[in-house]
Amino acid sequence: MADADLVVVGGGHAGCEAAAAAARLGVSVILVTLHQSTMAQMPCNPAIGGIGKGHLVAEVDALGGLQGWAADRAGIQFRVLNRSRGPAVWGPRAQCDKVVYSRLLRRVVGGLRGVTVVEAEVGDLVVDGGRVRGVILGGGRLLRADAVILTTGTFLGGVLHTGALRRPGGRLGEQPSSTLGSALAARGIELRRYKTGTPPRLSRQSLDLEKLEIQEGDADPRPFSWRSRGVENRSVCWLTRTPRKVQKIIAGNIHRSPLFSGTIEGVGPRYCPSIEDKVVRFPHHERHTVFLEPEGLDSDSIYVNGLSTSLPTDVQDDVIHSIPGLESAAVLQYGYAVEYDVVAPGQVAANLESRALHGLFFAGQLLGTSGYEEAAGLGLLAGVNAAQGLRGARPLAPAREEAYLGVLVDDVTGRDHREPYRMFTSRAEHRLVLGVDSARERLMEHGHRLGLVSERAFHVERERWRRRETARAALEETRLNPDAATRSAVRRAAAIDLTTPSSWAQILRRQDVDAEAVAAGLGAFDGLSAEDRRIVIGRLRYDGYLARHERERQRLHRLRHIPIPGDLDPGGVPGLSREVVEAMARDQPRTLADAERLPGMTPAALAIIAGALSRRGGFG
Amino acid sequence: MATASSSGLSSDLAGGADTIVARATPAGRGALAMIRISGSAAAEIAGVVCPAADFSSGWRASLAALLDSTGRVLDHGVVIPYPAPRSYTGEDMFEVTVHGAPYLVEGLIDACVTAGARRAQPGEFTRRAVANGKLDLVQAEAIRDLVAAETAWQLRNAREQLAGALSEAFGGLRKELVDLLAALEASLDYEAQGVEVPQEDLAEKIASCRGAVGRLVSTAGAGQRIRDGAGVVILGPPNAGKSTLFNLLCGTERAIVSPHPGTTRDVIEAEIDIDGVRMVLRDTAGLRAEGDRVESEGHRRAVGAAAAADLVILMWPLGGARGEDPPDAPSGVAVIPVRSKADLGDHETAPAGWLAVSCHTGQGIDRLRARLAEAVAGEISDLGGAVAIAARHRRSLECAARDLDGCDPRHPELATEHVRWAVRSVDELIGDICTEDVLDAIYRDFCVGK
Repeated sequence: MADADLVVVGGGHAGCEAAAAAARLGVSVILVTLHQSTMAQMPCNPAIGGIGKGHLVAEVDALGGLQGWAADRAGIQFRVLNRSRGPAVWGPRAQCDKVVYSRLLRRVVGGLRGVTVVEAEVGDLVVDGGRVRGVILGGGRLLRADAVILTTGTFLGGVLHTGALRRPGGRLGEQPSSTLGSALAARGIELRRYKTGTPPRLSRQSLDLEKLEIQEGDADPRPFSWRSRGVENRSVCWLTRTPRKVQKIIAGNIHRSPLFSGTIEGVGPRYCPSIEDKVVRFPHHERHTVFLEPEGLDSDSIYVNGLSTSLPTDVQDDVIHSIPGLESAAVLQYGYAVEYDVVAPGQVAANLESRALHGLFFAGQLLGTSGYEEAAGLGLLAGVNAAQGLRGARPLAPAREEAYLGVLVDDVTGRDHREPYRMFTSRAEHRLVLGVDSARERLMEHGHRLGLVSERAFHVERERWRRRETARAALEETRLNPDAATRSAVRRAAAIDLTTPSSWAQILRRQDVDAEAVAAGLGAFDGLSAEDRRIVIGRLRYDGYLARHERERQRLHRLRHIPIPGDLDPGGVPGLSREVVEAMARDQPRTLADAERLPGMTPAALAIIAGALSRRGGFG
Repeated sequence: MATASSSGLSSDLAGGADTIVARATPAGRGALAMIRISGSAAAEIAGVVCPAADFSSGWRASLAALLDSTGRVLDHGVVIPYPAPRSYTGEDMFEVTVHGAPYLVEGLIDACVTAGARRAQPGEFTRRAVANGKLDLVQAEAIRDLVAAETAWQLRNAREQLAGALSEAFGGLRKELVDLLAALEASLDYEAQGVEVPQEDLAEKIASCRGAVGRLVSTAGAGQRIRDGAGVVILGPPNAGKSTLFNLLCGTERAIVSPHPGTTRDVIEAEIDIDGVRMVLRDTAGLRAEGDRVESEGHRRAVGAAAAADLVILMWPLGGARGEDPPDAPSGVAVIPVRSKADLGDHETAPAGWLAVSCHTGQGIDRLRARLAEAVAGEISDLGGAVAIAARHRRSLECAARDLDGCDPRHPELATEHVRWAVRSVDELIGDICTEDVLDAIYRDFCVGK
């Protein structure tokens, strides 16, 4: 008799989304966490979103996940990054109250029907005939279940480093998970060592605010979630820059950093370098920006963004006190690095299930990612797919051209990575169609179908899309003839001379027209919110580019529906390299899209396979 | 592996096993002929067809008895095994040189097919070499051009292309585009980290890439002249001796020659090879204002041919046409001015810049040949080997150029799109991205056995 349908191991951002999604799909869930009090913690920066990451939050929200809603509720400052660029790369970000955020999620997830939270360590899996059947807890207690999702974060074999000081730990003050790693290895799952770090925390009272530059939130703060009505800025952030002296301080102590002394073997993220990394790698950059972010409204703790380090504490003191505004700063917590085990790529299928053990799913940092948003996205998908698997239903696996979530899953499961994986907009080939403002149009239908998005919310959104479509059609249809009256009207409205008959859509597409200002006076936009108006204009301006993407999207869509018959002998297809033939024979892809994910597969090889299939008469 | 019939693959794609056989020398009777076999079963097939040759001692020639499909001795031949990966295709291969009797060659190929090979498609050996990373697509094209070379310049260019000169140029361009892409992406993804990429840096990088593409596109004209021949048009007034010069340069009596002005009424062309440079020489009707309708149509065609030419030989006869003004040179085309009938010119000398020739005595003809070769090949030799030669190259490069023209550093997320497409165009060039159609078009021109 099973204790639950599903056991989720870990209560972080991945574990919470996984448990919540699965439970809402009607599956009984036991969530096992080392400490109930640290569920959904933000052990690093007190913020959700950003460039690429904000896109993930929007997609998780469109699918009915919790992260965006929790960030709206716990948010104390809201900013859209990249505002000077085009809307596709706008990255909404919310500075959050850590305590509020963690408490919110803990309460919501723990209170969901079908979720039981158990405080324990998981020591091993129960496996029977290639299928996972549950977990064994630290004390030897058995939890039987038909599926297990592992979201161990930085806890698997976790080791903390501060200078030469080295101690086991998943986060500061928390013991790591020690036996599960070797249990996984014993079951043939290959692990790999990664490293990440976090900067010091300072006492707000000890900062000289006069010397710091204030960073305000947006004048029109906007929520992430369709569940939220509105949000407001309740705090500011500050910024300062490291002085030249910092280079000297670090250079004189570089041998004491475990990153450079060789104590840390794990591979750290290049995009989030420690201050010692930055000084060594960019010696010509004399100053590095440091952002000071409050960790909560009532908290005295300030997160020092940009000063991630694992130098010894005395050096950290020297560095901090050399920075303008931080001369007499009191350190509440020193920066440290953590090394941990992740599942090496190539062992997990697109539904996040282990290729070796049926019913075993992975999500979050264990898959080699970094960041709360990546974790939440993977957690949501793992939760949905574990539940779908238990019900014998189709998995949710968005494609690369459909969602950042698709890019994320494809990259961490199908491609090799050598450092913690963080989302960037540059990872998405179809960036222009994957803007935050289209997340709901792309994904909400899936959330609704699964039952994670309410009928009412879906209806409200659909109405918005319809109004935008109507406005757009009106702009395309209105023809303006360059007669004297129209010309002067257009000159007044758009500051351009109309010489040929045009539609308003054509005029708004022009880069020399201030489209926002013109659109405000157009009847086509009556009844549309300012945000919807902006979305319509943004898409007009991307039109020429979207046509190319649409062709590519259709091509990929076709690939996904071209089956590769089981009797196709890859060795008999001329022009394929031995590596591709071997990968095809080993992994037996069932569609061309599966074949595309094989290691060693090139677009040229894929074209050859497509050609071979088309000549067989498989598709036209 | 007899999977062909069971898998139902059409015959042109997979006749059965993945080991292929073909005759590599031309069909017909000859002193010697060579057949080659490539694929995973090559060693096994060698064991059946020429059991005396030791496949494992590779890259060594040995004389061995060759057995037909019933095991009887056909002949003796020289066998060279090439164990993978040190072979043309990167697979196990062997080559057999035999007496060039068609019956014998066919018998040997039959024996290989009976032992498990299948007959290769044109270009299939090279296709495998590309798939196994022995050559890139540009080098594969060089192999095709090398086999087809008819002039010294074609040979030289194909050889340099095979050595990798063009692949390197494309590779360098790709690297520069990827650097540009990285700068553009950094300007989009790192605002939160306080990274700023100045717009001027982006503009500079875009311009530099555009310049590199432009330089390669500009070699395409020369590439085409090497491959298809430079167009040379003989232009001048009637009865200047154009057809006589045409016949002399061709070495044949192609054009009808008469003392009457207006004999040539249409454009006549012939391919010639001067100092290793291929030229397509065109004789035209004489240029004059009046004349019957056929003649004025000939005049129109002559002017049209000159405008489309790479080089014009502008003829102005000495002697007989004394006192007449020199003919107008067409604009925008390189011109070699020639005063013909130098033997009739008494003591008159050609004005500066004009080359005096006589088709009658042969005076000045060698100098004319040298001037022609220099005018075409001089430019080619400056290109240093990286010459975009195929129409395919030109198309991809022009696509990349258009995309770079659309890059505006003020809109990096859109500029990135253009650069990504430009990278894609270059990937298509190198063969990293390819559609089956492109591959088919390239390998269609190959011989069987290459």
